[in-house]
Amino acid sequence: MHDRLDISMRANHVFFWILVIVALVFAAFASFSGDVFYLRLATEALILGGLALSIDILLGFTGLLSLGQALYFGIGAYVSALVLREEPSFWLAMGAAGVSVLLAGIAGGLIANRVRGVYFALITFGMAQVVAKVVYNSRELGASDGLIGIPVIEIPLGLITLSAGDPLGFFLLTLVIIALLYSVSAYLLGTPFGRIIIALKANEKRVPYLGYSTWAARMAAYVLAAVIAGLAGALYPMLRGFVSPELLFFATSGDALIMVIVGGAGTLAGAIWGAVILTMLKSVIGSWTEHHLIVIGLIFMSAILFMPKGIVGMLKPFVERNLLRNSARQPKPEPERTAL
Amino acid sequence: MTDIMQVEGLCIAFGGLKAVDGVSFTAERNKITTVIGPNGAGKTTLFNLISGALKPSGGRVIIKGKDVTGKGPAALQEAGLARSFQITNLFFEMTVRENLRLAAQRLEPVRQALLPLRRHGRAADKVTALIERFGFAEKAHEIVAALSHGEQRRLEIAMCLASEPQVLMLDEPTQGMSHGDTEDTAQLIRSLTDEVTILLIEHDIGLVMSLSDHVVVMHQGRKLAEGIPAEVRADSAVQAAYFGHG
Ligand SMILES: Nc1ncnc2c1ncn2[C@@H]1O[C@H](COP(=O)(O)OP(=O)(O)O)[C@@H](O)[C@H]1O
Ligand SMILES: [Mg+2]
Repeated sequence: MHDRLDISMRANHVFFWILVIVALVFAAFASFSGDVFYLRLATEALILGGLALSIDILLGFTGLLSLGQALYFGIGAYVSALVLREEPSFWLAMGAAGVSVLLAGIAGGLIANRVRGVYFALITFGMAQVVAKVVYNSRELGASDGLIGIPVIEIPLGLITLSAGDPLGFFLLTLVIIALLYSVSAYLLGTPFGRIIIALKANEKRVPYLGYSTWAARMAAYVLAAVIAGLAGALYPMLRGFVSPELLFFATSGDALIMVIVGGAGTLAGAIWGAVILTMLKSVIGSWTEHHLIVIGLIFMSAILFMPKGIVGMLKPFVERNLLRNSARQPKPEPERTAL
Repeated sequence: MTDIMQVEGLCIAFGGLKAVDGVSFTAERNKITTVIGPNGAGKTTLFNLISGALKPSGGRVIIKGKDVTGKGPAALQEAGLARSFQITNLFFEMTVRENLRLAAQRLEPVRQALLPLRRHGRAADKVTALIERFGFAEKAHEIVAALSHGEQRRLEIAMCLASEPQVLMLDEPTQGMSHGDTEDTAQLIRSLTDEVTILLIEHDIGLVMSLSDHVVVMHQGRKLAEGIPAEVRADSAVQAAYFGHG
């Protein structure tokens, strides 16, 4: 027998693997048919999936509702863009974005973690709006136009060199990076550190008596989420060749939150599924009608009413039951000990 | 030194109400010290002051010679203290095993906090032993919310032991339990004195008299009397205030 939390995480992995397989099949079809538009769109969906993933760590595991996660996504994107304009190096851009967003996450966490609940949500919202407005009004950062003319970079990956301008290659690279972010998140949630994060959501008041500072645990989760959002954001200018203040706006944070809820909060894989589904829907519905926001809004409302656990959250119990049955069938010499 | 904990003149007031008003006592190592008193006497508040849930406005708490007054619950856990709650306070959506695992993980060095759980043998062994000892083998993978009240109360005690504390504070551990469960819990508490010093709040007077080495009686925030059970029972002030018809 395994802990429920372990089984739950393994079920998440199943959904993530299905996503990877679907992505690879899609990539094969797209490259055969010579498609560029949908490969680019799918790459964007995965990048937004990284943002959604970071929201899920907070909402689905720590129990914190961030309404301004686009702040870190945007900072990652802008720092990456600024670096790439000076020095078209993938690794430098990712490194600089990672460090900036780590520092920004610490600063933002020090502010937002002074309060709880609704106030936390409002502060995260406020911080993102303030920074977005500052960027919007800074000529050095391209003001409302954003930063354009980011060069198409060559990405050295040891044996091969990949061009960000190659739709298939960059799609696959993004898939690998999102898979890494997913794996790191899933790994950390399976450690004693991760269990404390999960305990915060389950019953924050009990955590101090286990010998842990709830503030420090919340802070760590917040900074982790910021870094994940920022690293995903750093890929954005490589894909689109520009960044704009919209990346920091509430529309971005709110969309990503919808992705998490539609996909299934607390499932990690659901966040990325949600990003893929919503991005595709937006594009498809957008080609039918100008009023795609109304349609998306209606879909979101019905998702909450009829699938409150989200798509992955709804399907997960079936997978968990199977995993439990399989792990029960395997004879274990020392069951209690190997269970952990 | 046989005193493991000294409480000196602890005070706190809520608005005008002096909930705990200059209470002092000492707890002897590996003994059971029980705090009794009518409802609202300030027993839980006294526990809150000792365990760091509330900051006292006056007085001191000393554990193993170290002044821990005003420190938070996490620091007191570090100092070797564990407490249970009058109102069951567990991780209800998690399983019995996961709850115990959380409580046991402080046994491992903090620098291993980022290693996978299966690499933490000491905590895992502790959890396995507690599941055995508390009779949770059948229910180890049950969600805590699905346990009976008695089982939840028992898990509260097991959670406290998971971190191998030196001082264990139990706030009405038998509250709401059936007669049989109460008897079992008393047995269990008695068996714990080999490992820990116990500070107990208990309503069942029969239990208090049979379990306690030392009794502290509280009334309206103040300490009314203290002594061995027989002395306290014979005290006329205690009889008037607590036993009512004495
Ligand atoms: N946080 C609080 N705020 C205000 N009053 C409180 C608080 N905690 C306890 N009290 C009051 O202090 C008194 C003692 O309560 P408590 O310590 O719970 O009593 P006991 O555990 O002995 O039944 C009661 O009158 C209670 O209403
Ligand atoms: Mg009480």
